[in-house]
Amino acid sequence: MIEELRQTCRKLLEDGTVNVVIAYGQSDPEGPVYPIFVTKPDDAEKIVWNKQCFANLTTYLTRKEVKALGRIAVLVKGCDARSLVVLEQESQVDRAMVHVIGLACGGVGEPNPAGKCTVCEVHMPRGTDQIIGSVPETVSDSQDRYAAVEEFMKKSPEERLAFWKKEFERCVRCYACRGACPLCYCNQCIVDKNRPVAIDTSASLKGNFAWNITRAFHLAGRCVGCGECTRVCPAGIDLRLLNESLARSAERNFNYRAGMDPETPPVIGTYNAEDKENFIR
Amino acid sequence: MITQQALRALVDEWIGAGTKVAGPSYVKKDFCQYVPLASSAELLLEGFIHPRNSIKEFFFPRHEKIYEYALKGHEVELADMSPASTPQVIIAARPCDTAAVAILDAVFNWGDKDEFYTRRRDAATIVALACVQHDSQCFCTSVGLGPDAEKGADAMLLPMDGGFEVRCITDKGRALFAGRTQSSDKTAVIPEGPKVKMSPEQVRKALEDYENPLWKTATLRCLSCGACSFTCPTCHCFDIVDEGNAHGGCRAKNWDSCQLCMFTKHASGHNPRNVQGQRQRQRTQHKFRIYPDKFGEVLCTGCGNCARNCPVSLGVLGTLIELCAEMPESVGESK
Repeated sequence: MIEELRQTCRKLLEDGTVNVVIAYGQSDPEGPVYPIFVTKPDDAEKIVWNKQCFANLTTYLTRKEVKALGRIAVLVKGCDARSLVVLEQESQVDRAMVHVIGLACGGVGEPNPAGKCTVCEVHMPRGTDQIIGSVPETVSDSQDRYAAVEEFMKKSPEERLAFWKKEFERCVRCYACRGACPLCYCNQCIVDKNRPVAIDTSASLKGNFAWNITRAFHLAGRCVGCGECTRVCPAGIDLRLLNESLARSAERNFNYRAGMDPETPPVIGTYNAEDKENFIR
Repeated sequence: MITQQALRALVDEWIGAGTKVAGPSYVKKDFCQYVPLASSAELLLEGFIHPRNSIKEFFFPRHEKIYEYALKGHEVELADMSPASTPQVIIAARPCDTAAVAILDAVFNWGDKDEFYTRRRDAATIVALACVQHDSQCFCTSVGLGPDAEKGADAMLLPMDGGFEVRCITDKGRALFAGRTQSSDKTAVIPEGPKVKMSPEQVRKALEDYENPLWKTATLRCLSCGACSFTCPTCHCFDIVDEGNAHGGCRAKNWDSCQLCMFTKHASGHNPRNVQGQRQRQRTQHKFRIYPDKFGEVLCTGCGNCARNCPVSLGVLGTLIELCAEMPESVGESK
């Protein structure tokens, strides 16, 4: 599979289909895997695909430094492909300008699979230009996507608040969650607005609640559950749990799941006269 | 020496006497940080390489009020915040963290004394824990430190059979352990640290080339967050902000990072470091060229936290190795 992947990327660069391939690289087989930007055909040899390929590379598609490189090919897993759908629906990515290489994925994380992979139902990426590899037969799609939220919701509201207080107390406001999130693409993030200040920049409990809750709300009905926020948080806060709870609400109330189908209009951007709430009429 | 049991009893004694004690602890599964300890049972003394944060926050908190204000009619009332001076002990800090505090002392006492920092610092005793393990991100030996480097520490614990050899370095350290150790004919054997991975002198030379193409290519993957700076034991930049409303509020000193887009943004809207490569270059320049010019030592202790905490594993070490790999020929060529 890796040879097919490298050959594909090499060819895309050689024949000029793209100027850059956003892929995974690893300098030390024991060390971490990280995003690489391959611009020379020979460098396609540096591309890797293994259980450490956590990053959602679609986050780079909206960055000006990356866009400046020209036409882009990007590797996506099933979960990453969902964020690409949202980016396209929100007019952030011109899908025709990006060559999407889907990687059939049996899950990342070793020895323990990443949390998102234990409830994955998109092992095979959708809406890509091509797919490389196949999903191992031992891997099946989960039907229990909100297991963690359901478990968490068994706690009382007081216990849940106490839990988040303890978690948010550790937040240092580094904004790694924002940086890694493909859907945090605002030109100016609300937390960077300082005339006047909208959200306290202080890493106080008040400021941290304001930041993390505002970010979660901005991702309501948009978050695809790629789990990058949780993975990158240097304070070990399980931010995905917050987003999953809102995703569950979007599905329960509006039968909507972000990034699953490009033809379904985004729940936040849709008007429906049949809505159960009266204010809309 | 001191047995582990006696050490834990001593830690509980400090806590009982009202001293704030902080040290490495698992705050959740597989996630270790330096945190204030409620009891010695929480203290981790083995089995970890480096906590995900540093000890700087016990002297230089991420958020600290400088003063409070209140508007009463047409009057403004200001209230000074008294910097905390509660005695505190930082226990089992890695030598790369204690060394960083010695570096920070120079910054926070340069010109005006930062009272908030120095008062906390004066009231603190730092006990280091020598390293018997290291990982691929550790590079203390490349910046003149090592697994039992004493810089910044008042005392050091060196793991040995049955407990720790106690090395008292300052009067504060001696006072902490006076009468609490027992003699032993054995001494601790500390293994060698990581191999030397780069040379600050070579880095310094490479950094003379401001337009090195590396800053445009190797930093493309940087996500513009502050995880590196905020978990770095030596990064010390802060922002002064006003928070509150028409009735009252405070002026606060908050951690800031040169990697965030707002760091250099002018009121006019102009941003002299508008792309991430420039910000990466700045952080490296500050650590290995600008800071040494002013204070005579590099602003890095080789702890490796930048790489460990980076969402895309872009640490200082990897960048420097790549930078130096192009040396010396490419320095002239790239222009």
